[in-house]
Amino acid sequence: MSGHSNWPEWIYIAVVVALMTWVGAEAWNAERLVEEVPEGAEVIKVTGQQWFWTFEHEDGTIEIGELHVEVGKAYKFEIMSKDVIHSFNIHDYVVLMDAVPGRINTVWFAPTDVGTHDIQCREYCGLIHYNMRGTLYVEEPSS
Amino acid sequence: MKRMVGLFLVLSVLVVIPALDLAFAQGDEPGEYLDRRVIIWNLFFRMMAVAFTVGAVVAGTMMWIVWRFRESNPKAKPTAYEGTDW
Repeated sequence: MSGHSNWPEWIYIAVVVALMTWVGAEAWNAERLVEEVPEGAEVIKVTGQQWFWTFEHEDGTIEIGELHVEVGKAYKFEIMSKDVIHSFNIHDYVVLMDAVPGRINTVWFAPTDVGTHDIQCREYCGLIHYNMRGTLYVEEPSS
Repeated sequence: MKRMVGLFLVLSVLVVIPALDLAFAQGDEPGEYLDRRVIIWNLFFRMMAVAFTVGAVVAGTMMWIVWRFRESNPKAKPTAYEGTDW
């Protein structure tokens, strides 16, 4: 088409492509940082079932409805379910991962402060879903 | 057309190649101790900053277009498509 410049359109397309690329790269990088488990993280097996959480530490200690961890240490949760789909959530530490029957999903975190926090199920899983709660106790290192 | 190629070359050097480089640099090395709350909040904050900036530019451009090309603008000239019989 004569007498008509396409430059604004091309610049617009370039800006959109650049922005989308930047957004994708930033999101990808944040996901990578959040998903890479640090070396030496203690594995805790988390089992969800109607309607409570069970935690098994590496040394075989089993806790039900409560979880004791040490501040400044990394923990890798291996999350599974015995019945329906649940979702393991420690809201204060932005830990959220589905517990799916037949699958082991993983998520890690490193508590930064001593204190207690709520653990809850974030996927509607039946009658007592609302009360499928637990408590996270973050304590001083024992040694 | 040559200028277009030049523009995209510059853009790819500035944006696309570093992004791809970053994306393919991932290895199996163990992660660092970091606070996922900070990472996630930072990402959210930057995305929102970009979203609101882009939104403001787009909304501003639309408002300017509506204002500039309104019928009552003294500078408005009918286009050939609209005809000249006013």
